Amino acid sequence: MTTTDPDEPMTTPEAVSKAQVAKAGPRALARQRRRRSAARFWHRYGTHRAGLFGLAALGLFALIALTAPLTVGSGVQSVTDAPGRPMESPSAEFPLGTDQFGRSLLGLVVWGSRVSLLVGLLAAVLSVAIGALIGITAGHFRGWYATVMMRITDWFLVMPTLVLAIALATVMSRSLGTIILAIGVTTWPTTARLVRAQTLAVESRPYIERAKALGGGHWHVMSRHVLPNVMPLVLAQTTLIISSAILAEATLAFLGLGDPTVVSWGGLLQDAREAGAVSAGKWWYLVPPGIAIAVVALAFTLCGRAVESVLNPRLGVAR
Amino acid sequence: MDTHDQFGGRGTALRLLAAAGAAALTLTVGLVTPLNPAPQQAEAKDGKKVLTVAVAQSVDSLSPFLAQRLVSTSLHRLTYEYLTNYSAKDNSAIAGLATKWEPSADKLTWTYTIRDNSKWSDGEQATAEDAAWTFNKMMTDEGAATANGSFVANFKKVTAPSPTELVIELKKPQATMAALDVPIVPKHVWEKVGDFSKFNNDKDFPVVGNGPFILTGYKADSYVRLEPNKSFWRGTPKFDELVFKYYKDGDAAVAALQKGEVSFVSGLTPAQSAALRGEENVTVNDAPGRRFYALATNPGAQAKDGKKFGDGHESLLDQRVRKALFMAVDRKTVIDKVFQGHAAEGEGYIPPRFSTYYWKPTGSQKIAYDPDRAARLLDEAGYRKNGDGKRVGKNGRPITYRVLCHATDPQDKAVGQYLEEWWGELGIGVTLDCRDNVSDPWLAGEYDLAFDGWSVNPDPDFVLSIHTCAALPATPKDIGATDNFICDKKYDDLYEQQLAEYDPAKRAELIKRMESRLYDTGYMNVMAYPNAVEAYRTDHIASITTMPEAAGNIYGQDGYWSWWSATPAAGESSDDSSQTGVIIGIVAGVVVLAGLGVFLARRHHATVEDRE
Amino acid sequence: MTAEATPSLVGKTDGPAGAGPSARGARARGTSGYPRYVAGKLGGAAVSLLAVLVTSFFLFRLIPGDPVKFMTGGRQVSAEQLAAYRREFGLDLPLWEQFTDYCGKALTGDLGTSYQFRAPVIDKITEALPNTLLLTGTSFVLYTALGIFLGTRAAWRSGGLGDRLNTGLALTLYSIPSFWLGLLLIIVFSVGIGPIPGLFPTGGMESGGEEGFAYVLDVAHHLVLPVVTLVAVEYGQTLLVTRSALLDEMGGDYLTTARAKGLRDDLVRRRHAVPNALLPTMTLIFINLGRTVAGVILVETVFSWPGLGGLFYQALSVPDLPLVQGLFFVFAAAVIVMNTLADLIYPLLDPRVGR
Repeated sequence: MTTTDPDEPMTTPEAVSKAQVAKAGPRALARQRRRRSAARFWHRYGTHRAGLFGLAALGLFALIALTAPLTVGSGVQSVTDAPGRPMESPSAEFPLGTDQFGRSLLGLVVWGSRVSLLVGLLAAVLSVAIGALIGITAGHFRGWYATVMMRITDWFLVMPTLVLAIALATVMSRSLGTIILAIGVTTWPTTARLVRAQTLAVESRPYIERAKALGGGHWHVMSRHVLPNVMPLVLAQTTLIISSAILAEATLAFLGLGDPTVVSWGGLLQDAREAGAVSAGKWWYLVPPGIAIAVVALAFTLCGRAVESVLNPRLGVAR
Repeated sequence: MDTHDQFGGRGTALRLLAAAGAAALTLTVGLVTPLNPAPQQAEAKDGKKVLTVAVAQSVDSLSPFLAQRLVSTSLHRLTYEYLTNYSAKDNSAIAGLATKWEPSADKLTWTYTIRDNSKWSDGEQATAEDAAWTFNKMMTDEGAATANGSFVANFKKVTAPSPTELVIELKKPQATMAALDVPIVPKHVWEKVGDFSKFNNDKDFPVVGNGPFILTGYKADSYVRLEPNKSFWRGTPKFDELVFKYYKDGDAAVAALQKGEVSFVSGLTPAQSAALRGEENVTVNDAPGRRFYALATNPGAQAKDGKKFGDGHESLLDQRVRKALFMAVDRKTVIDKVFQGHAAEGEGYIPPRFSTYYWKPTGSQKIAYDPDRAARLLDEAGYRKNGDGKRVGKNGRPITYRVLCHATDPQDKAVGQYLEEWWGELGIGVTLDCRDNVSDPWLAGEYDLAFDGWSVNPDPDFVLSIHTCAALPATPKDIGATDNFICDKKYDDLYEQQLAEYDPAKRAELIKRMESRLYDTGYMNVMAYPNAVEAYRTDHIASITTMPEAAGNIYGQDGYWSWWSATPAAGESSDDSSQTGVIIGIVAGVVVLAGLGVFLARRHHATVEDRE
Repeated sequence: MTAEATPSLVGKTDGPAGAGPSARGARARGTSGYPRYVAGKLGGAAVSLLAVLVTSFFLFRLIPGDPVKFMTGGRQVSAEQLAAYRREFGLDLPLWEQFTDYCGKALTGDLGTSYQFRAPVIDKITEALPNTLLLTGTSFVLYTALGIFLGTRAAWRSGGLGDRLNTGLALTLYSIPSFWLGLLLIIVFSVGIGPIPGLFPTGGMESGGEEGFAYVLDVAHHLVLPVVTLVAVEYGQTLLVTRSALLDEMGGDYLTTARAKGLRDDLVRRRHAVPNALLPTMTLIFINLGRTVAGVILVETVFSWPGLGGLFYQALSVPDLPLVQGLFFVFAAAVIVMNTLADLIYPLLDPRVGR
């Protein structure tokens, strides 16, 4: 079977005839083309029900996280002003019960969404940024640089991610930055490989030759031609990686490697376990943060798959 | 057999997968089976009374010369006799391997009378020669001094003039000679050991010992099995078997207790003990503990050679600041919220459970919770608030203290969050520095305050010695025995006096004066004495001795009273749960295998059909 | 097909995307044949293993904490004794000397002595390794079988209700944190809730005291919940890859031909599409096995399983450098070995790779 170019449905430079280029200037034309393909992208995305569901869930969680200072307020974290008794069961006052300090768990889950989403987002951005940078440069420069970079990538790829992340988190002090770094640094190789392959595909097209012939430098080629073409792939990859970054954050926090003074979903689970909520049957301490993690991770995965399938319909993701 | 299909090798993938799966299974089973030589006894389990104790801590070593962790030293208490033991009634020293001990007039020679009715489990008699050999080994072989070297540091010479007489000569008088917590090992077994720093005593079972139990089996992080010593001089334990079973997860251990998989669980959280209280057949033992839980301040780390090191905040050198900080710690809230009542409010250094040495501040000496006074005290000391409401140090920068906390200790993290808010009200910032292993910044003096806690022994000498100047490191490069670099002349003088004082009442008086001095310096602020919160099944254990008897703990006693005294509940058959378990296990296994079978059969069926 | 087309769908960071040997396997066909290809792969694996050895040495030297200080924690220890410890574990030597020492010994199978257990690292590892292999091996067989089976079904009725339910469930389980699922399973099936009795042990690998067949049953009984947890969170990936590989395959002309020949649908699927689709899946399967060994840390923690994961976590907190290094090496080696196996087997299986 043949190679399926992942972004073919979106940007088809060959379709743009030379005549058009001559008439309307390359910049304007590129912008126009991109706008058109974005519209086409959304139209296609709209046909993926699971993707829409994921997007809706994400919107909801984003709304919850952004409005948290208004709805629950930062006071919800205070231990000295905790309104309830320790580990109260759900009631009208505390719909999800209280934690070990007597703080409202509903409030904490809402407040914790800020940290969990932020960590997930930043870690994924870091990971994809590293991956994209290495992928594009390795694809563009070839030669010994590419060889070295790809060997490093291969090598990171065989490292057991979780073990490496745990090791990194142990090496550094306990903070959100550490967690973000540990996740970002261990998850980039996948992206790097994908982006490199895409870069190679893009750079083999004739118009890159032309750009080079017209005196476009490395920076010009990479930023003007390669980057826009790998962007859709990078976006899809980010969406997918956020999902695993959120899981990884929860995992590291659960293993006690998170910042104990910051409220996050993983941290809540760790608190619940340390407080003995499992055997004491205090399920309301354990279930909501876990469900929140699962729903958000699922939502990002669904979005990512939908994006992927739009880019490459042959994958046949269920609608 | 079914290779002749028209698409050549395509079926290979599937078959290879199936083969790989089968290989994986065979491999795993094969690997596991020979490595589990099943050191279990061959006798039938029926009717055997087994006492199963849930533990979490891994054994560091089964060699008495190397073991430092509580679980391992507890095992040694059960399997080896020490010279003396501690009374379950009042923690006083009572007979162990020695029946009598007395000092010479010049206080420098102690003579122990060794009992003649203690036999090693291989039949040999335990004598003074074994004890002398054990101590001499620790004095001459660095590898053998790893765990208990401090006990022999002041020994000049140890001899055994006769099988029942042990003589220890000291360099300086030492009041703690009835508290030598050193397991005495059989010379005829241990003299064959080559390198003491590597020998872990975990290959040959049963391990030769003379305690109430004999170690008969051990598998790392799975179980430790002991059987009663039938010839133990104080009387044979009543259970037929004592098993320490591993549960790395506290909740799993509690669930196991609820199901009757284990008979005893320790280290319960407030929520767990509350849940177990309502349980049928379970008794929760919530007793005063051996530990104190304190907030230590960095007094400016220094070495014996006078060199200062570390980077403790200069404001903490002011006694008023230390006092003000502790004044703003609401100990009642710590007890009520963090420990949820399972602790007593901290006052003096030694927990009230050791009534002989217990001291508490009264009247004006007591630093009571009073945030307003704390604020005034800080103002007086010259640490005033700036425009942002933050107190500034002498260097003009807002004060933020680094508080060192143990990442594995939920209490540290919880109290830390309260400190953040309490001291935040005072205008002082807090950074919680939680680590798995705090020893590095701790020993380097690179912290401002730290959560600290020690288990106190019946003889408090050790916990007192760690605050003397003598415990400081020789140079900043060395490591001292010091806890947090306290060096106070008055305290040291009292320490020297009590160590040379052989009259118990007078010694106790001196120790109380030391506690009073320590309290006033404000370097060690005891917040709480956490309770020992444990639970056991009354349908497994009919009775068990706590230490102290009136209200005390069961796990981690200074003696072997709990497991030695435990009596099985009548008519209890500890096999019930495991029998049903096995049946369910069989059913589950069969279901899984059947599922696999069906899956594979369908494949096979398909190929047959295809050939037709 | 290229490696880039399918595995990216695997999504999760752990996905073997790009690392798939298919592309590299395809390259092999043009050159001087299989033996040379094998030699290349083995050489690459050896280089990777060496790199892991080096990394594990230097990475963990960065962990703050002087192991000697931890070992003596709270005990009165003289300065001379401290120096003796350092000598004993070779910590007094310059770093490069420690390193050459470490490498030299590692080549002879000696990974050093654990600080906290004072036993050879290799002994601690061989003690725990079989337990981990039992857990991962069993889970691996089950989730692979389940993933392939359900993935095949989903692909064949792509877009139907069954497919949607199947894929949806797999994705949902895939999004659940494994430790959380484990804790819930303990509450429900081990402690028991309402009418559900506590059916399974809460943790550990054996009750102790059993022997013979009863011992095997006992271990199997303890194995159920951890295996269910691992299978639930892991099978999704296999399912998704099988499904998409099969969908790719079904576009092939030869299937239409086969159906046109009058072969039944069911038969077409089993005889032609599935075996071909399994090729890319094989890659994932091998890589997964390597990764599961490392990923089992969480499940081992939750279920008190006495395996490598628990040991690793314990070793990190000291830090017990020799043990941490040894375990890290084992985890990484598992992945490398499995990757290499996949690389080696792939060209043998792919009928299109002529030899």
